[in-house]
Amino acid sequence: MTPLRDVWRSIVRRDPLSTDKGKSELVFLNLWLHIHPAKVKRENFKLKHTWYLGFITFYLFLILVTTGVALMFYYRPDAPQSYQDMKDLQFVVYLGSFLRNMHRWSAHGMVICVFLHMCRVFYTGSYKAPRQFNWVIGVFLFLLTLGLSFTGYLLPWDQLAFWAITVGSNIGGYAPLVGPRLKELLLGGHAVGESALLRFYVLHVAVLPSTMILLTMVHFWRVRKDGGLSRPVWKLKPAAAGPLVRIGAPAPAEAALVVVPASQDKTYGLMEVVTGKPIFETVTAEEEEDTVFSYPYAFFREAIALMATVTSVMAISLFWQAPLEELANPAKTPNPAKAPWYFLGLQELVSHSALLGGVVVPALAVLGLLAIPYLDTNPSRRPADRKWAIRAFTLFVVVNVVLIIIGTLFRGPGWALVPPWVHVSGAE
Amino acid sequence: MKRRSWLGWGTAGLVALWSAVGVSLGAVVRFLTPSVFYEPPQSFKIGNPADFSFGPPTFLAEEKIFVFRDREKGFAVASAVCTHLGCTVGYFQDDQRFHCPCHGSVFAGDGAVQHGPAPRPLEWFEVTLARDGQLRVDKDHVVPAAYRLMV
Ligand code: HEM
Ligand code: FES
Repeated sequence: MTPLRDVWRSIVRRDPLSTDKGKSELVFLNLWLHIHPAKVKRENFKLKHTWYLGFITFYLFLILVTTGVALMFYYRPDAPQSYQDMKDLQFVVYLGSFLRNMHRWSAHGMVICVFLHMCRVFYTGSYKAPRQFNWVIGVFLFLLTLGLSFTGYLLPWDQLAFWAITVGSNIGGYAPLVGPRLKELLLGGHAVGESALLRFYVLHVAVLPSTMILLTMVHFWRVRKDGGLSRPVWKLKPAAAGPLVRIGAPAPAEAALVVVPASQDKTYGLMEVVTGKPIFETVTAEEEEDTVFSYPYAFFREAIALMATVTSVMAISLFWQAPLEELANPAKTPNPAKAPWYFLGLQELVSHSALLGGVVVPALAVLGLLAIPYLDTNPSRRPADRKWAIRAFTLFVVVNVVLIIIGTLFRGPGWALVPPWVHVSGAE
Repeated sequence: MKRRSWLGWGTAGLVALWSAVGVSLGAVVRFLTPSVFYEPPQSFKIGNPADFSFGPPTFLAEEKIFVFRDREKGFAVASAVCTHLGCTVGYFQDDQRFHCPCHGSVFAGDGAVQHGPAPRPLEWFEVTLARDGQLRVDKDHVVPAAYRLMV
């Protein structure tokens, strides 16, 4: 069957995967795989170093794009028709509720995973030189993730959506000078209504996802250009250093010169010599030993992570329904009205002081995150050398989590402190 | 051409380029600002004075206002939008105060904040008598809490 083989050869032009050349070519002759190096360092794929959180975040994003496009076939951004479309997706469209569940749960998952990924990057000190700027890009990816979740939250046009976005956008309106203007631009009006729905839709399906894709590409590119993933260098055992040889020095008398025959299956080239320090972290030259071909070592592990992510999301979506409350009603506020959960920490602060919680604290938090790699100039990534940095960041994480838990579980009608196990009668 | 004039042209070009970028950004912001808001009008009629009873205020859900009518003092219109984050407050006859369901703000009968995170008192809107004898509320005219319309 030569014609068929010719077709195959015209598509896949690499050597067989049984050869080293084929393994490298699989990576660099392929558009989708060539973001990988042909060979990776083994520790980079140790579960305990990255927990694959960046990958999982990315896979969740892929699920979101796929299921999101599917939902678009049945969704109109037109109040109150949107709500009917959601009902249709829920009860009429084949697989509609399953796809909607997948979309909703992956969105929540992505917010969680992107935050955890940021934490792991912090705790492993991976924002330090030369990776400072990739951390900054990461902070923007984090904000984009929040933006996508927030704009998506309004689309079902039910009570939950309407009041969460009303409260959320009013928090933004507290920003001095620009607040009211920003709110007007975002909502296309002065209150959440039809123009807000259309704007949120366009942001949600076009502007923010495309920005996300572009920034993600830069993020991945940077990971490569910064010398691959950071590794716990302090844990690596440097290989015994070989004897130093001075080029040009006379050969030691006792060592006879050996002629190494040129290999038959290698191509030799004259490489350029670049001066300056490598941006890579190397322990010694010997440590090279621990690299393996990306195929199958890295791809296999990434595929497992992908399948685990997809299966988990599917399993969750089979058993848990994404909420859909009654049609949005601007006249009737549910009690209590809560912003989406990832903003409940802010809402908790806002319930004490709107300016402080709505503007000052979040602005400082974002600026602080952006500045971390430039403020923390301690070059060591070993946890024992960065006790204070770790304590400060842990405090930030704990405060965030505690506030979100209080806002989500402990706030009842009238924003009164009610533990989740107490039922308040008469609450709507 | 002389080096000097190259520099001159280059600078002028850069300035032109950046001005174009600036102007375009301004245009984008302006484009995103609606020239017409398709929203309920800020000034509207709510019906004849006789439609409103004395005693507990009438809540108009669409307009998000409370219409108060008092035998001696006349008409007053209060906003039902909480000044904290925009939830719709309720008026409770038993303690004659406004309660916000969202974060527990409580406003006195005259709109003053008594409790909770609301930063400002509830707004009172101007209410006048239109030519056809109906009451007209103007949300663009915020008036002191003591404002009353005698009919
Ligand atoms: C949409 C959101 C994001 C995606 C899809 C994403 C994806 C990834 C992936 C796949 C990696 C490589 C391996 C891994 O850690 O699993 C990575 C590394 C990295 N990420 Fe992210 N990331 C996102 C957000 C962030 C955020 C919020 C930060 C920090 C503020 C960040 C900072 C970094 C840094 C500095 C590295 C290099 C780490 C190292 O060399 O060890 N990323 N990211
Ligand atoms: S919106 Fe009324 S208390 Fe927050």
